[in-house]
Amino acid sequence: MFVRSRTPSSWNSRRLYSTGLTNAVRTSEQDSRWPGWQVVIGLEVHAQIKSREKLFSQTWSSDSGSAPNSHVSPYDAAFPGTLPRLNPACVDLALRAAIALKSDVQLRSTFDRKHYFYPDLPAGYQITQRYNPLARGGHLFLPQSDATVRIEQIQLEQDTGKTVFESRRRLSSIDLNRAGTALMEVVSRPDLRSAEQAGEYVRSLQAVLRSVGASDGNMEQGSLRCDVNVSVNRVGQPPGTRCEIKNLNSIRFMMVAIGFEAHRQIALLDAGQSVQQETRGFNEDTGETLALRSKEEAPDYRYMPDPNLPPLLLRPEYINSIRNEMPALANEVREHLILCGLTQQDIDVLMVVDSGSEIGFDGQRSQGAIAYFEALSEGRNPKIVVNWIIHELLGQLSLRKKLFHENPISLQQMGGLIDMVQGGNVTGSSGKLLLRHMLDYPSSRHPEELARELSLLAVREDGSLEELCLQVIADMPEEATAVRRGNPNVINKLLGRIIKSSKGTADAKSVRQTLQKLLSSP
Amino acid sequence: MTIGIKDNICTADMPTTCSSNMLPGYMSPFDATVVRLLSESGATIVGKTNCDEFGMGSLNVHSVHGPVVNPYQRPSSTAGWSARERRSAGGSSGGSGAAVASGMCDAALGTDTGGSIRLPASYCGVVGLKPSYGLLSRWGVVSFADSLDCVGIMGKDVASTSKLFDALSMFDGRDPTAARPETRSRAQELSSEYVTPWMSSRLGDLTGLRIGIPQEYFPASLGNIIISPFRRMVRTLKGRGATVVPVSLPNTSYALSAYYIIASAEASSNLARYDGVQYGLHVPLPPDTLARTPAEVYAISRTAGFGAEVKKRILLGTYALTADAFDNYFLQAQRLRQSIRDDFMRVFRVPNPLARATTQNAAGVHVLLHPSAVRTAPPLDEEEGLETYTQDVLTVPASLAGLPALSVPIVPDTEGDGWPLGASVVGQWGCESMVLAVGQAIEDLEHEASV
Repeated sequence: MFVRSRTPSSWNSRRLYSTGLTNAVRTSEQDSRWPGWQVVIGLEVHAQIKSREKLFSQTWSSDSGSAPNSHVSPYDAAFPGTLPRLNPACVDLALRAAIALKSDVQLRSTFDRKHYFYPDLPAGYQITQRYNPLARGGHLFLPQSDATVRIEQIQLEQDTGKTVFESRRRLSSIDLNRAGTALMEVVSRPDLRSAEQAGEYVRSLQAVLRSVGASDGNMEQGSLRCDVNVSVNRVGQPPGTRCEIKNLNSIRFMMVAIGFEAHRQIALLDAGQSVQQETRGFNEDTGETLALRSKEEAPDYRYMPDPNLPPLLLRPEYINSIRNEMPALANEVREHLILCGLTQQDIDVLMVVDSGSEIGFDGQRSQGAIAYFEALSEGRNPKIVVNWIIHELLGQLSLRKKLFHENPISLQQMGGLIDMVQGGNVTGSSGKLLLRHMLDYPSSRHPEELARELSLLAVREDGSLEELCLQVIADMPEEATAVRRGNPNVINKLLGRIIKSSKGTADAKSVRQTLQKLLSSP
Repeated sequence: MTIGIKDNICTADMPTTCSSNMLPGYMSPFDATVVRLLSESGATIVGKTNCDEFGMGSLNVHSVHGPVVNPYQRPSSTAGWSARERRSAGGSSGGSGAAVASGMCDAALGTDTGGSIRLPASYCGVVGLKPSYGLLSRWGVVSFADSLDCVGIMGKDVASTSKLFDALSMFDGRDPTAARPETRSRAQELSSEYVTPWMSSRLGDLTGLRIGIPQEYFPASLGNIIISPFRRMVRTLKGRGATVVPVSLPNTSYALSAYYIIASAEASSNLARYDGVQYGLHVPLPPDTLARTPAEVYAISRTAGFGAEVKKRILLGTYALTADAFDNYFLQAQRLRQSIRDDFMRVFRVPNPLARATTQNAAGVHVLLHPSAVRTAPPLDEEEGLETYTQDVLTVPASLAGLPALSVPIVPDTEGDGWPLGASVVGQWGCESMVLAVGQAIEDLEHEASV
């Protein structure tokens, strides 16, 4: 049965003061740009969910490069007789984001229709979650600002199409590729206090969303959009009237807009006037915000529960399975690698290389450097593994101008190589040779096979090693005599000859020992 | 079998106009699921049938193609077509009802949101089934009110109606409101627990069948020309061994108001897409136009495209969803809807398959029985007043509750105007077999009575 829950806390609600978190009433930090004033900022971030298909239709999501209206199904274009079908992948990815933001996933959420007329909204309504969103609460810590921003809620909704207005021809062109794409709206509490904090918040949110594969979170490409709410108040006073700024296309513009708006509102209040509750736009050329719509002109969206979509019911076991399957967050990864015994330096390198790895559509992970490392470390010494990866593999890849994801050496091959070197089947230098060979001539062949082919297998049996040493001793009688007479350093010449003639397959340490043994007896 | 398809159900090879000037000659890029299933089962689709615009109406007079004329004439009459009395075929599936009644096709598909199958069935003298909500796929059915729309079937007799229902009743993943296979089997299991021999007997013993007559379904407007034949039919059923008891559905009086609020609100939402941009009527802006916003531009096409009845309902529905009115109208109507549903659940023998817990009701009835309409078919030239809306008063409760309802013709008394009448059999959700069995029994008995 439909029950309308209370609307999210309004700006001036009691909740702002009743929670224990300090941001809301933090007065100690004064910003020199507006002494005596406090700027209160809240953000509504819309992130495109990185699902293969759209939220309610089975059309493939498009990217900015697609031809207009090439990814549109009858449902997306709101043809008569079409009905929505929820794409579970979108829910999974939004759940990942909610879990990463420590938000409370609601076991029951519902979908509502938000009605308004606009060319990029073919159905005349957008499906969103007004009354019962997917997740409530949560927070994001901003290390540079040393502040925690609380999340109000996270909800699923449809994206609109795109309209391009050509003023010369007085024509609006409509591209419905984007119509119906899944969006995740993350609404923050008004905990931000400066443009810099807002910028850090967006960047941190982008990083979180990317690390769990929920969204590319790219403002320039349109996979992330921000609406900002700004109000000002004298320090110690309750929050003032807020204005919403829409259509901000980059973090930089957002920060400029916040600065302008803060000063605009302060100037008004200083002059004894009041701030009107408005929706404002941003002029990128002048850096100013401008009025779009007053409170009276604000549309009534006539929210109505969507009768076609049953409530979304989630079991706690399901949410836990998402938690277990999703990629780990950066700080969790770092902690785990420290436990493996890696140095900070090694961890930094691995994480940098790993962050360049792709999380594809529907959250599918392609193998990153860290996953590679972890798989290889099973049953092996992690320090040895990480040295091979960082000093040999990454180095050689970079020499060949290749990125990690272009590494042709499989886990089995790499593991086999490391084992062969550790077990003495090939010398260290032979191992490096093999690795370079495998990079230059990619195949699925086991390194032992390759080593045999290339005659790189170490001379192991003491018999043949002794034979080799005796041969060289016979070939270099002067040097041999010198060693016997008590000149131990000359042994290096003999050693060098043996290594050279064995093409590096002989292990230097064993050769030295054998030579010493042979030359010590008269 | 030859089948007619109501013009608000999408067919890829014939226009789907919804009897509206908003969709002149509209060709759907896809077939509705029910249309595809018909073709696959070997039926011949002979054409699209007239209806009230977008399914909104009770008389089938709100149509860009003109009103549907009820094909009925008394057996004794020999008047030619142009000379006979012109009466309404009922709506909104009047075209389907008339097509079946006049023999243009064996059966027809329609839609029933508040009675739009059962009312024309009653007026035209054919069988009309509104299945349980969620059994027949709505993919390709142009939405009027999503939570109420059902694809319905009209046929010459119960047997052909039943056959068509069986062919179309299956789960379709494209319809998010379609009942899942597990739910359908659960309903079958539950209803089969309550089967007694009467269900398989024909013209035989109806002992064990418990029929409830809802007391609130006999408004003052219900004339004797309806009550008398209805009573006669009930007496015949009793004579065959059925137990007939009065039952009460106390919230019935709120049903009509709740229905119109919900249906209009959902309609205002579902019809917001008709703006002439992607498809449909587009009226170019006059050169001196003052239209600036998208809404104002759309209004030019929409004003020309929608008929008066549709406009009325869109305005009413839009109002019901506004912030001011939402709590008092829309929300209130939803609460009433739940109460009406609860009323039905209290009287049935078969527990609700959609509820998690099943409660037994030993005193419950298998089906409810009541007149389908408050009158016979009204004359076409009759002044339209509020009465047109009250035609739905007997059909709307089953729509609000999503329950299966079947209208079967009953033989009128000789004292009346002789025009067709119908009795409605209403059952528990998913219990079509029970409803159709009772319908068959009534049909058999009425056939006996008429000879």
